[in-house]
Order: sequence, then C-alpha cells, then structure tokens
Amino acid sequence: MSDASSTLADIPGLMRIENPGKDELTAHCVELTHSVYPHHQVYGQYCTIHAYVDCPPELTYDYLSQGHHLEEWTCSLRDFAPSGTPGLWVGRDRLEDDTSIYCKVVANPEALTVDYHCSWDQGDKLWMIYLMRVVPARLVLDKPGSVVTWTNCRHPYYDANPDPALAPRADRPWVGDYWDLFYAGHTVELNNLKAILEHRHRNGLPVSVPPVRAVAR
Amino acid sequence: MTTVSLTDVSGYLPGDPVPAEFYTEYPGAEDKLRGHAMFKAPPARHHVAADETNTDMIERAVQPLIERHGRDEIRGVDVLLVHSQLPDLPFVGAGTEVARRLGLNPEWLVDVANAGCASFVHMLKLARQILSTTDARTALICNAQSAAGQCFTQSEVRRLAQAAIPGDGCGVGWVTTSAASPVLDVETRHIGAHAGDMVLALDDGRKYWEPGESQLRIGFTDAGLAKVLSRGNRLVPEVITDLCDRLGVATADIDVLVTNQPNRTFLRNWREALQLPPERHLNTFDRCGNLFGAAIPVTLDDAVASGRVKDGDLVVLGGFAHAGDFAGAAAVRWHGGRG
Repeated sequence: MSDASSTLADIPGLMRIENPGKDELTAHCVELTHSVYPHHQVYGQYCTIHAYVDCPPELTYDYLSQGHHLEEWTCSLRDFAPSGTPGLWVGRDRLEDDTSIYCKVVANPEALTVDYHCSWDQGDKLWMIYLMRVVPARLVLDKPGSVVTWTNCRHPYYDANPDPALAPRADRPWVGDYWDLFYAGHTVELNNLKAILEHRHRNGLPVSVPPVRAVAR
Repeated sequence: MTTVSLTDVSGYLPGDPVPAEFYTEYPGAEDKLRGHAMFKAPPARHHVAADETNTDMIERAVQPLIERHGRDEIRGVDVLLVHSQLPDLPFVGAGTEVARRLGLNPEWLVDVANAGCASFVHMLKLARQILSTTDARTALICNAQSAAGQCFTQSEVRRLAQAAIPGDGCGVGWVTTSAASPVLDVETRHIGAHAGDMVLALDDGRKYWEPGESQLRIGFTDAGLAKVLSRGNRLVPEVITDLCDRLGVATADIDVLVTNQPNRTFLRNWREALQLPPERHLNTFDRCGNLFGAAIPVTLDDAVASGRVKDGDLVVLGGFAHAGDFAGAAAVRWHGGRG
C-alpha cells in the first residue's frame, strides 16, 4: 500500500474504486440518483446557474469585469458611483427603496473569473459574493462562444441581517428574504446578460460600453 | 368510440412466501450490495413450483373471475392476450394452451412477447382497440411471471444480489365493452432506440438452447445500469404526465398509482417525480418482489381486495420495460368494487 493510500485509510466515509469496489460504488450512486430534486435541496445552500453565450470568451470576460455593466444586465442594480474608497463603488439596489449596495470587482483575466463582492447598507464588510466564471465554449462544448457559470453561497448574513440599524427604515425587507428566489432572479439576469452580449456581438457592435452617468442621486 | 372498461382484475401468487434468507443465507451469497436501495432484498417473494407452468398460474389467476362473473361469461371471451415473462416453450406461446385449459374459443388470440414489465398496459391498449372497433365484447389479458423460482434460483445465480429481487406471480384483467369502469385513455411508446440493451447473459457465450454449463441470467449491455436508471427515471413519469395532461388532470390528482416494481429506487423516484404521497403509490414489493409484467395486475388486485381503491378513484397504471424499449400508462375511473 502506498503512503498516499495508507493516509487515506484513516479518513472515514471515503468511497473510492479500491474500496468498496465498483459494484457498490455504482449502487451507491444509483441510490443518490432521483428523478426529481426538491428546490431547497438543489438551491438551499448554494445557487449555481450557467448559460451558453454566443459571444467570444474574451469579450464576455471584458464585459463582466467592468462593474458599471451591472447597471445593464442586472434587474435592479443602478446608479453606481465611486464610494471614496479605491475600487469600491456604491449604487442603489432598486429591489428595495432607498437601499444602497456597495460593490468591488475582483477579476482574474487568466482564470476568466469575475467576482462581485457586495453588501447592502455598508461597504466595510462585503459578504454578498457573486462568483462568475467564463469558460471558452470551444473547450467544453466544442463550439465558439462562452459558457458562463454563476455561484452564490448562503452566507449566514442572508438569514440574519448583522446590522439592522443601517437599514433606511425598520420595515425594509432584508436581501436574504429573497434567497429562495435567487435561482429565478439570477436566471432572469443571466438571460439579460446573454441577450445583451449576443445582440451586440451578432450585430458587430462594441460589446462593452462606457459608464452612463447617473442623472440624479 | 365504444367505451371499454377494465371491469375486474385478479391475481395469483404461487406457493408459500419465500423469505429473504433463502438468498442472504445461501453459501457464497454476494451481500455487499444489499445495503443499497436498488438491491435490498424484499422480505418475501413467491416461487413457482418445479412443475408449475405459466398456463397453470393463469388458470389459477382466472378462477376468481369465473367465480365473480360466471363460467359462461369467461368462456365466451372474444379476445385473449397473454404475456409470459419466461416462456415455458419456445415456438409455441402459452395462449392456445390457456384457451384449451379454460375452455375458451376466442376470435382474437395474441401471445404478446414485448412490453415486458408494462405489458399489462400494452395489452389493455390492444384490448381496448379491438373491443372498440370490432364486434368483440370481452377480453382477457394475462401476465404470467415465473423467472424468479426458475432462473434466479440456479446455484450460481442465486448468490447474486439481483437474484433476491424477483418474485413469481400472475395477474389477469377482464376487459369489457361497458361504461362501468372506463379506461379513460392509454399512452404507450415503443422506443426502438433503447432496444437490445437487455440481454440473456450466458457466460460461455452459448445460445440459450445450446447445451452447456453456464447459468442463464438477465443482464444489460454496456449501456449499463446508469442508462437503464436514467431512462426509467425519465420514461415512467413522462408517460404518466403526458397521459394526465391529455386527461386534463394533475399527476398529484391521481388517486391510486400502480406501476411495475423493479426495486425501491424506482418506486421512490416515480412517486417523487409525480408528487404523490407513498400511500397513493401502491406496490406489493415487500411481499412479492419484482413481479415484472405481473406486478401491475397483481398489485391492483391486491389494492382492490384490501379496499385501498375507492369507488370513483382515478387509477393510473404505468411502467416501463426491459432497458427502456417500452413505456406505457393507462387511466381508469375505477368502479370495479367487489361489494
């Protein structure tokens, strides 16, 4: 037995081809395979969605990595302006009246990942993190274009606002109250992203656009 | 179109129940898979006697129909449809022997060799078609399954985890031109793309009729368990949902669902997919195991006899065959009470 496998022998619960063996491994997987899965089981703790976008991966990445485009493809994020802290922007989440949202873009051009670190009401602790990744469709689907994946994890703050005093009013609903609609809401937004990118790319237009100045804030 | 009813059903289970220990305590038994839902042995199943044929079982299953409807009525049957999961005799179907034994003289006689575990639905559709378009007035549809006590008790096959799952039994349906217990609709699909993936495995490569030592068992081609699972998971809910859509009812409105019962995993998955509570998806798996084609009529008979089908219930019968080469579902407004 190699050093690696003797180390693994101490770890309970592993299922590998060496033990319990292929037949039991298959039977175990069969048992885990249902016809349908309840929403909470699939999207209860994590919400991952994905879409094919007929737009080159570098253009898709470029578009996502510029935070002001959130004003185009998201349902409700608008009016971003510099917060005063470098790299940190503040805008409005029109999901609720008078609600500010802080956002920092953390992008990695080599990995084609674009993460939006956000928070309602304050910009000191950015805990609402939208993890997006662009995958060249040529690699995974053998066709031109991009695959975009998008994951949110259920941070404990979704379930309990850590600082209700920062809310503009006492009865303002909390962002986490919408967790069960994240699959739907993010799907709508991903469809927006797809529609914008595909429309511009198909018609030979620049995919990225300059920031639009908010008229009134 | 003439209204056709599934007027009655009846079942027969051979011999005394055979406990799971028949398999689990057999020397050399392969036990490691038994903890998993798909291979967990039912506590009991029945086995045909050594000299018991498909025709014997059908004859016994029909007796209650004779008692309830009269010998002359049954003898006057116009359509006889017979499915034998494991034919006793190649070349010759069981149908004519059934006719001889029961003294039938049907105008239509078909030995159905396809649609396996869902062949009751297939035969119900055939019977309904014949009864609604010809002068034929009554049909007897028969499902006999005798593989458990024969194939799966062979010395080597008996050790396999899969051997403990099947059970033998026979179910029959009495179909008539009447509006008493109407067949509302039947949805069936023959899926050529999935043909050929279930095979009779003989390890020495001989044909089943050639002499040799290898023990015949049922297997799947390399398409494998995963494909059969995903097909079954998809096909049965799909065909039942399509049937319900045509009838304008939600699957959750099915009062009694009876399916084939290959294992607990499929029963769980179909019930979940159709959003039905366990008490409305009836099965006899724990007492009978996988009854293949006989599961639907045997379980329906058991449900009617035990009062779990109420007058006026929407009863849906559904299932799939082999490695997914057939799927079917039928809906009946049940008024077949035995009060």
